[in-house]
Amino acid sequence: MSSESSKKRKPKVIRSDGAPAEGKRTRSDTEQEGKYYSEEAEVDLRDPGRDYELYKYTCQELQRLMAEIQDLKSRGGKDAAVEIEDRRIQSCVHFMTLKKLNRLAHIRLKKGRDQTHEAKQKVDAYHLQLQNLLYEVMHLQKEITKCLEFKSKHEEIDLVSLEEFYKEAPPDISKAEVTMGDPHQQTLARLDWELEQRKRLAEKYRECLSNKEKILKEIEVKKEYLSSLQPRLNSIMQASLPVQEYLFMPFDQAHKQYETARHLPPPLYVLFVQATAYGQACGECEAGREEGLWEQRPRPGGTGSTACRGKLPGPAQKRSAHRKSSQPPRQDKMLSVAIEGSVDEAKALFKPPEDSQDDESDSDAEEEQTTKRRRPTLGVQLDDKRKEMLKRHPLSVLLDLKCKDDSVLHLTFYYLMNLNIMTVKARVTTATELITPISAGDLLSPDSVLSCLYPGDHGKKTPNPANQYQFDKVGILTLRDYVLDLGHPYLWVQKLGGLHFPKEQPQHTVITDHSLSASHMETTMKLLKTRVQSRLALHKQFASLEHGIVPVTSDCHYLFPAKVVSRLVKWVTIAHEDYTELHFTKDIVEAGLAGDTNLYYMALVERGTAKLQAAVVLNPGYSSIPPIFQLCLNWKGEKTNNNDDNIRAMESEVNVCYKELCGPRPGHQLLTNQLQRLCVLLDVYLETESHDDSVEGPKEFPQEKMCLRLFRGPSRIKPFKYNHPQGFFSHR
Amino acid sequence: MERAAQQAVPLGQMEVFQALQRLHMTIFSQSVSPCGKFLAAGNNYGQIAIFSLSAALSSEAKEESKKPMVTFQAHDGPVYSMVSTDRHLLSAGDGEVKAWLWAEILKKVSVELGEGRGTQTQREPLRPPSAWGHRESYDSAIIQQAFLSMKGCKELWRRQPPYRTSLEVPEINALLLVPKENLLILAGGDCQLHAMDLETGTFMWALRGHTDYIHCLALRERSPEVLSGGEDGAVRLWGKECRIGGKTGGKGGWGEEDASHGSSSADLRTAKEVQTIEVYKHEECSRPHNGRWIGCLATDSDWMVCGGGPALTLWHLRSSTPTTVFPMRAPQKHVTFYQDLILSAGQGRCVNQWQLSGELKAQVPGSSPGLLSLSLNQQPAAPECKVLTAAGNSCRVDVFTNLGYRAFSLSF
Repeated sequence: MSSESSKKRKPKVIRSDGAPAEGKRTRSDTEQEGKYYSEEAEVDLRDPGRDYELYKYTCQELQRLMAEIQDLKSRGGKDAAVEIEDRRIQSCVHFMTLKKLNRLAHIRLKKGRDQTHEAKQKVDAYHLQLQNLLYEVMHLQKEITKCLEFKSKHEEIDLVSLEEFYKEAPPDISKAEVTMGDPHQQTLARLDWELEQRKRLAEKYRECLSNKEKILKEIEVKKEYLSSLQPRLNSIMQASLPVQEYLFMPFDQAHKQYETARHLPPPLYVLFVQATAYGQACGECEAGREEGLWEQRPRPGGTGSTACRGKLPGPAQKRSAHRKSSQPPRQDKMLSVAIEGSVDEAKALFKPPEDSQDDESDSDAEEEQTTKRRRPTLGVQLDDKRKEMLKRHPLSVLLDLKCKDDSVLHLTFYYLMNLNIMTVKARVTTATELITPISAGDLLSPDSVLSCLYPGDHGKKTPNPANQYQFDKVGILTLRDYVLDLGHPYLWVQKLGGLHFPKEQPQHTVITDHSLSASHMETTMKLLKTRVQSRLALHKQFASLEHGIVPVTSDCHYLFPAKVVSRLVKWVTIAHEDYTELHFTKDIVEAGLAGDTNLYYMALVERGTAKLQAAVVLNPGYSSIPPIFQLCLNWKGEKTNNNDDNIRAMESEVNVCYKELCGPRPGHQLLTNQLQRLCVLLDVYLETESHDDSVEGPKEFPQEKMCLRLFRGPSRIKPFKYNHPQGFFSHR
Repeated sequence: MERAAQQAVPLGQMEVFQALQRLHMTIFSQSVSPCGKFLAAGNNYGQIAIFSLSAALSSEAKEESKKPMVTFQAHDGPVYSMVSTDRHLLSAGDGEVKAWLWAEILKKVSVELGEGRGTQTQREPLRPPSAWGHRESYDSAIIQQAFLSMKGCKELWRRQPPYRTSLEVPEINALLLVPKENLLILAGGDCQLHAMDLETGTFMWALRGHTDYIHCLALRERSPEVLSGGEDGAVRLWGKECRIGGKTGGKGGWGEEDASHGSSSADLRTAKEVQTIEVYKHEECSRPHNGRWIGCLATDSDWMVCGGGPALTLWHLRSSTPTTVFPMRAPQKHVTFYQDLILSAGQGRCVNQWQLSGELKAQVPGSSPGLLSLSLNQQPAAPECKVLTAAGNSCRVDVFTNLGYRAFSLSF
């Protein structure tokens, strides 16, 4: 019924309003009424655009109705209230429509939202799926690369070459028909072959080892046998000793020494052999020549054998008895040769360096150092290297050279293994204790006694030119700093050892030569002996000179007049530098006669107020090279060879005319005679000085010498020459 | 082993000996060859060295050309004096005068040059020198090498003036040529002037007067012609006539000593001492602390310059008065006139050049500590070799190409 009523009502409205929307609405209303009322479903059916039109129309109608009501109200009247009521009813309908529209709008909104949300969720799901797939792809790619990069162990195995493989491998391994075309199969086959071969080799190795064991055992057994043989042989030797002694056949001693000599390095061996030979040859010569230069000392033969070394206890030998050395049997001569040092160490040198004792101790020392400080400094390393380079051979040869007066020159020869040169240390012992004069300090010092034995051979420089390069490596500037320790590498020493070094180009292979040593042996020995004798003679002279005594020997008296008034008052040694700084020695220095190997002395000769200074250069080659005098006279002004011809003549008398002053051979008295001559010359000089008439008083030095003439020649030289038996002075 | 090796002399001894010899060498005399290209120098060991001035002065001179072309042992003692005639080199020292042919010496020089100088040492010595030492103590090996000698160069002749003393042979300190009479006058240790005829080689006469030995001689163009100065401090003038009244003492004279005196008709035969100047007695120049000896002498017409113990002094001869005393403390050993200068040398390194007024014009230092002889090479044959050479207490002869400085030194 109600639907009917509303139906009725609506056409009324439509009628009254005449709006087409009314009709539709009425229709839908009826459909709803027909089933069940669902506004949601209704929404789908309605067109939102038309709803919007309807909404606009309704709003306009409402505005119009409101305006009419307003209008009516303002006019008032009776029928106005009806009119108003009518209008109000119409407005209510319109309001209802609006409400309906509002609801519809709400439902529509909700529906839209739901749809949007649903779509969004779908998109999210798809995206996630995509991500998963991408990750999977990446992982797969990584796996593939890993596989591609895989390295097989077999590539490291060193295989035999392909040709060799096919040639040597048995066909069941090589399977040529399969493997030729297929590299994979080929490699497998080759690996198989390799394995096979290695197995075989391992088998062989085991066999060899067992073989070695066996041989070692054999050696052991033989060694034991040999060592048991040694004591037996020794006992036989011991037993034979008394027989040898009884028969005076000291083979054993000589043999022992030669045995030791076997371990000498070649240069020392050459020296040893040559020196022994020379010593024996001289001994024989001496036996026939009693008055010779070398003194022969005959000894009773029997007593010598008491000493285990077969050596007689002479004064020098006693002194050296503490040395562990073996001596040759012949002792009664001037030259004796011995070998010093540890034979074991020398033997050790022949073994490989790891086994030698020296090296072990060296490496021990090194280990100690490394534990102390982690890293040894460069300096320490260099020091070690230097020590190694300057190492001596453990054996050395000892030569004792005996002179006429029982003084002995001990020479010890060393061999520097790494430098390939020989050095020598010298020592002089005398029969009687010497009172050492102060000025004789350097005469017998080991450092200088053999200096310049041959001219220019000062022994401060290495004679092997190759050494300089070795020195450069370890930072040794010159050998000079080490000679005190090592001994002097004189050239003659090298020659005695048969070492010959070329002057110009360095040469590493230096062979030892017996003939070279032999050709120098005699001359050198003579020179050595002359040197010792001249040094001892100088030593004696110096002892007197220091006390102002000029020790003229009786066989030289004829060189000088009986009365000599001038006196030597001072004799001192001076330094080389001091000598060169003297104002009157310039000529000698410029002439190159004042080298630093010489010894320098200052003598002062006085007579009355006159003082004559004499600077003396003593060449190591004394007395074959004369001492050189430079004079400076302080008397009525200073007079030197520069401003006084007679001083020059006096120098010439002692320096150039020295030969007449040598005295009897070998002329070791030269220095004394020169000094005495100087005193005589000063006497002559002073006594013949012309008297200045203008000065009052007597002459200071009255003329006592007998002179033929006072002056001679353009230089007005005084009569310096002494004529012996007549005793007068003349001009030269 | 050879026993002979005992005598072996180690090397070095000889070098030292030679160095000492050079160090103590004194060159007493010099003389220029007639051709003007060579200089002879004599030293205290009796050696004469011939230097080639032309080689040393040439533009391509090497060190070698300053060494002697040839050296030979001329005398046993020092060679105190040398003069050259147009053919001969005359040298004197220990009492003897020797003549050497320049032609022969120069032939040797040219041979020497042709052979190369290196062969000098192999030449055998002419004679062993005996300047020092006992003859027994010679080491012949040293001597042979120390003296370079000229093979086959022997003196043309040697003469010894008649001496009276026998103990010591007097030396000859000065030689003087008198060309116009072909005379050689020798003076020295026996205090006499000996005249020798160069033609015959005979000693014709001697002039006596000096009381001590004679140092130097000089020749004048006019009479009195010969001057001599000696250790006794006097300068004596010798001539044939006595024009000047300054003659002192009648001890001068002349004595015939050779039978052949009639063979020569020389003007000087009648010479006698005509004038004596005792220099040390004049206060202006006397220096008693140096002695009275006269060491050097030179004349030029009426002028004479002399020095030695007394100061170097210029004298006017006619009035025999000292006109200029040169202020030089060191004794002078050589003096000579050169153009309008006086050159003198002696103790000390320098060659002194004086104006006649006494002013010191220059002192040119040389290389020797003392000088004994100066030589002016004025041979017209070799104008390019016109030099002054000075020698003395060293083994070097200094060469001055002009008077201003020392050009270089020749060395023994």
